[in-house]
Amino acid sequence: MKEADLVSEAHVQPIRARRDFGAHASQALGILLVLVVLVWLGVNLVKSPNDFGSVFLVGVSQGALYALVALGYTLVYGILELINFAHGDVFMLGGMITASLVVQLFGLGENPGFGILIAALLVSLAAAIAGCALLNAGIERIAYKPLRGAPRLAPLITAIGVSFILQNVAIIWKGTRPVSVPVSEFSAGHGGQLFKVGQVVYTADRLFVLAVTVPVLVGLIWLVKFTRAGKAMRATAQDKDAAAMMGIDVDRTISFTFLLAGGLAGVGGVIFAFYSTEIGFSTGFTLGLFAFTAAVLGGIGNLPGAVLGALLIGLIQNFNEGLAWHSPGSKWTQSLVFAILILILVFRPQGLLGERTPEGG
Amino acid sequence: MASERVLYVEGIHTFYGAIEALKGISLEVHQGEIVTLIGSNGAGKTTTLRSINGLNHPRRGSIVFEGNDITRTPAHEIVKSGISQSPEGRKLFPRMTVSENLEMGAFQRTDRLETKDDMDRVFSLFPRLAERKSQKAGTLSGGEQQMCAIGRALMARPKLLLLDEPSMGLAPILVERIFAIIKEINDQGTPILLVEQNAMMALDVASRGYVLETGTVALADDAKALLRNEQVRKTYLGETD
Repeated sequence: MKEADLVSEAHVQPIRARRDFGAHASQALGILLVLVVLVWLGVNLVKSPNDFGSVFLVGVSQGALYALVALGYTLVYGILELINFAHGDVFMLGGMITASLVVQLFGLGENPGFGILIAALLVSLAAAIAGCALLNAGIERIAYKPLRGAPRLAPLITAIGVSFILQNVAIIWKGTRPVSVPVSEFSAGHGGQLFKVGQVVYTADRLFVLAVTVPVLVGLIWLVKFTRAGKAMRATAQDKDAAAMMGIDVDRTISFTFLLAGGLAGVGGVIFAFYSTEIGFSTGFTLGLFAFTAAVLGGIGNLPGAVLGALLIGLIQNFNEGLAWHSPGSKWTQSLVFAILILILVFRPQGLLGERTPEGG
Repeated sequence: MASERVLYVEGIHTFYGAIEALKGISLEVHQGEIVTLIGSNGAGKTTTLRSINGLNHPRRGSIVFEGNDITRTPAHEIVKSGISQSPEGRKLFPRMTVSENLEMGAFQRTDRLETKDDMDRVFSLFPRLAERKSQKAGTLSGGEQQMCAIGRALMARPKLLLLDEPSMGLAPILVERIFAIIKEINDQGTPILLVEQNAMMALDVASRGYVLETGTVALADDAKALLRNEQVRKTYLGETD
């Protein structure tokens, strides 16, 4: 007995040492990487503070937009442990609804007035929120609910299938070429400048992104933390059987979560359409993957984590594309973002704010 | 038995997929009683509770609670009708605090003020929980988790309390304490259906007991009689002649 213990000890020792060395090496590498990035950012800040400021502001706005979509992934993952790959496409359809309304209902053209622009925005928000919320809940009812007891891979593959269906719906509806949303009056060249600090121009389009997103994010966190529906969501996410024993209608709570996630995607779609003034059938797929990365970076299932991850991804993307001194440029954006996804999954699967769970998620 | 019948389970057959876990179980719980289900692993004790609480409906047979047929009632409505449970493995909400877990127990109730009173009552029953009330349930010790799970079930103001393995994984001194509390809850007027591995302790507090064997009721009798029963003593109380 004693001897056996000693033998196994002898085997364990070198493995543990090797693992320690590996952990130290990757930690050192990580610190080095962060230092290089900080130095690079520092040099850029010193060399041209105005550029840096503009790029930072764009990054924050873009991050806020990613946050809306990332929260949808994280809400659904939190409750079903399902990565809803169709989520980006629901967002895209929100943008398409907006494009249709702006062009066909409001007939916005070259120089719409401010009043009609706001009216178009509000109507688009209402339509896209309702449309995407119902669409998302409908998808859950038809495609995911029948697979509730199936192995996890089944709903995941179904989600990818739904994603293709939604993209094809968009192609049939709008064609393969991107649709333009003529609301560019918001940006600086068209008198949308609000104020200026040094050379840094703050434009109305950026303010509008934050003016819509921030209240939505605050509202969401309030809802999840303090309302009855939010408590039901959290309980269902943590233990479905126990939630049912408390008197929570689990099916209804899951439907509600999909409604909420869809509504957020709808808001995101409107903002994207107004902000980038162009949207195509594949927009949701690409942006969806970025937002998914953001959710994983922050810790999937964790709401503040999704917002933090989204802001970081927005900033990383814009620093990468916009800074003057030695930035890799936009053709590297996707590589960079997905490299972050891989690094996080390998070295910190629970994300920046996520807690370590027994399942290792 | 003059007292009023609260729960009547009649000949239920419950399945897990294709496996018939319960093969016609019948039992009843009367007002004021503690009734215990004992039996080895896989005998169907937990499945019986899951049939009653609506998480796994029986295919045949019926369950009547306070005169209403609840055989097919969804789990979340069964709580409203007055049955609450401390489940096997406790099933607390690990990332919620102790207070939040207790609040969840009262989820389907609308009487805010009385809910507050009940929380105080749970804290006086389990002073340990009061000390830990803002701690996350996932960080509690096993005994504290068990107290929290029982407390959470009490927050529903049950007319029937189901307890599944309340002694599992606890140190002997804690087991004694939990059973004392079970007795106290019952003395305050709540009938209890108690599932236990620890047959000795369970039969000691119970008024009647059912012995389950592979999905059927093998024996049903007064708890005192079961404690004296030769077969029970050998199989479940670990006595060797």
